Amino acid sequence: MTASSAAPKIAPLPAPKTGARLVVEALDAQRVEFVFGYPGGAIMPVYDAITEASFKHILVRHEQGAAFAADAYARVTGRVGVCMATSGPGATNLVTGIANAMMDSVPLVCITGNVASPLMGTDAFQEVDILGVTLPIVKHSWIVRDPADIPAIFAEAFHIAASGRPGPVLIDLPKDVQIGVVAAPVQATPAKDTARRLDPSQLRRAEAAIGLAERPLLYIGGGVRIANAVAEVRQFARNTGIPAVSTLQGLGALAPDWPGNLGMLGMHGTREANEAVQACDLLIVLGARFDDRATGKLSGFAPHARVIHIDIDAAEIGKLRDAHIAITGDVKTVLPALSPRPLAITPWIERCARERARHEARYDAPGEGVYAPALLKELSERAGDTFVAACDVGQHQMWAAQHCRFASPFAHLTSGGLGAMGYGLPAGLGAKLARPDAHVVTISGDGSFIMNIQELATLKRYGIALKIVLLDNASLGLVRQWQELFFDGNFSEIDLSDNPDFAAVARAFGIDAFRITKREEVSAGIDRLLAAPGPCLAHVLIDPKENVWPLVPPGKSNAEMMHGEA
Amino acid sequence: MTEMLLIQIDRSEGSLQRLIGLIERRGFTIERMSLAEAGLHREVGIGVRARDAGRAVDVLARQIDRLIGVRRIAPSADTVHSEGAVPCTA
Repeated sequence: MTASSAAPKIAPLPAPKTGARLVVEALDAQRVEFVFGYPGGAIMPVYDAITEASFKHILVRHEQGAAFAADAYARVTGRVGVCMATSGPGATNLVTGIANAMMDSVPLVCITGNVASPLMGTDAFQEVDILGVTLPIVKHSWIVRDPADIPAIFAEAFHIAASGRPGPVLIDLPKDVQIGVVAAPVQATPAKDTARRLDPSQLRRAEAAIGLAERPLLYIGGGVRIANAVAEVRQFARNTGIPAVSTLQGLGALAPDWPGNLGMLGMHGTREANEAVQACDLLIVLGARFDDRATGKLSGFAPHARVIHIDIDAAEIGKLRDAHIAITGDVKTVLPALSPRPLAITPWIERCARERARHEARYDAPGEGVYAPALLKELSERAGDTFVAACDVGQHQMWAAQHCRFASPFAHLTSGGLGAMGYGLPAGLGAKLARPDAHVVTISGDGSFIMNIQELATLKRYGIALKIVLLDNASLGLVRQWQELFFDGNFSEIDLSDNPDFAAVARAFGIDAFRITKREEVSAGIDRLLAAPGPCLAHVLIDPKENVWPLVPPGKSNAEMMHGEA
Repeated sequence: MTEMLLIQIDRSEGSLQRLIGLIERRGFTIERMSLAEAGLHREVGIGVRARDAGRAVDVLARQIDRLIGVRRIAPSADTVHSEGAVPCTA
């Protein structure tokens, strides 16, 4: 035995690491695939460290684009999206994206740099109290005061963002914390399982109520996608035969061709969906929150219905509409636990099917111009089951919701709660990175598109084969429609007829682009778009006077739909 | 009517701001408030009043309960004017 082998074994001391290095290791420990971000002074130490990261950093051209791209990545994958920005303006540019994620319950970890701790609160250059600014729009947030806490805080942040009802969290990193050196960081402790146990008595009450109902209706919300409960919802609908309506966020939860699928309810919902809600005697709410765009005037919503409300978030139950039976839990767990007796609702099923057939959308609009609903329908059908739409906000968003075929709720990305124009392009970018196999299409309008048009440069840089359909009506169409209908035609600040030539702009960014101006060009245009090997933009000129129908006027009951000329 | 809530909350940075901000955002005014340290936590007594008839304090309580760091929330008969209490008008 040699002297050296006889020496007591002493574990080597861990090599000291900077806080910035710990940030990178924490993100790698979470198996993060992409971080969407933009560097700046107060986050430079982290950017110095990420050159050795396992994840890929996507350099966007505006921090709002980073937040939206991370949001879409999270919606498509069900994983946590990550975005990063510097202090001050970098951090505040994330704010719309954070609010968007909060409203639609999207798990995001948002990382911001900040000025060094001694300078915080002194109005230093690029200092902003981003923790304070974002308090109302995050699920939780931290200012890291000690670099040793970084592994534990990041692990907790990912857990909080994704667990229960998901949402965005924010981690603010003062610069001295990023450059501080740590020998023994505090390790993360495993998160506790906080899943609630279902209340069997409420389940039995729900079964009894379903068994007694003559006109039951499923009201499907975004919680179904979040809970990854598509299979459970489809099984329940098949087993019971109960017809269903969906919110904007619930579209795709049921197969498009399932006869009981009545489509979207609410302001721009289908007639058959809104009529079914008005007529039903039992509303079974699955991960929905009685949003005012869905309910219209709340006092007139589902006036004859008892309500079973199933939601993972106890705070949603009774917030806007009292529930006769409240079940706090994950839709994925609750539905298989419900076994109602066979229902005798054939007349109701037949009535809903009849109304669905009677109100089926028509695509034979007069004229030679491009009819946007027909184009979107054809696009989604031609793209097939791998179609993923990343929508912007406006008329095109509602046409997409009404006329596109979505194979699953993961195929429809839309800023539902916040209604943030500018979402579509960066969201498409994030979704295509997450699903390179899919036909990801950004559906945008001329107002929305220009709000984050700079992300065309990101598409070009990374060769992201996102397809873009830009429906250009040379105006802020939805505002124009409201001014026409509810403000006596007093058109105020909606004219965008001096728009740039969007195809030329796209080409200037190095993106393939072309125009569609006539109905007869639509099919060939869709062919070209879907076959393009790289990013491609179709600039589609549509009638500026086209409206979205049906429409429930603001403040009115869903029973008071306007049907327009459609 | 002022309704009293007794809340145990972590002493983490921003926790009080988070709590007070939520109550006001959700349509309640803060009529009274008391604060006491309790080890790693804070005991906060808050008297709240709804700004309109559509706001239910039990919904508010559930919204507070889902804040990260809130350990316990319960209605309280009268917890406000203990020693160290800070009455305030919002």
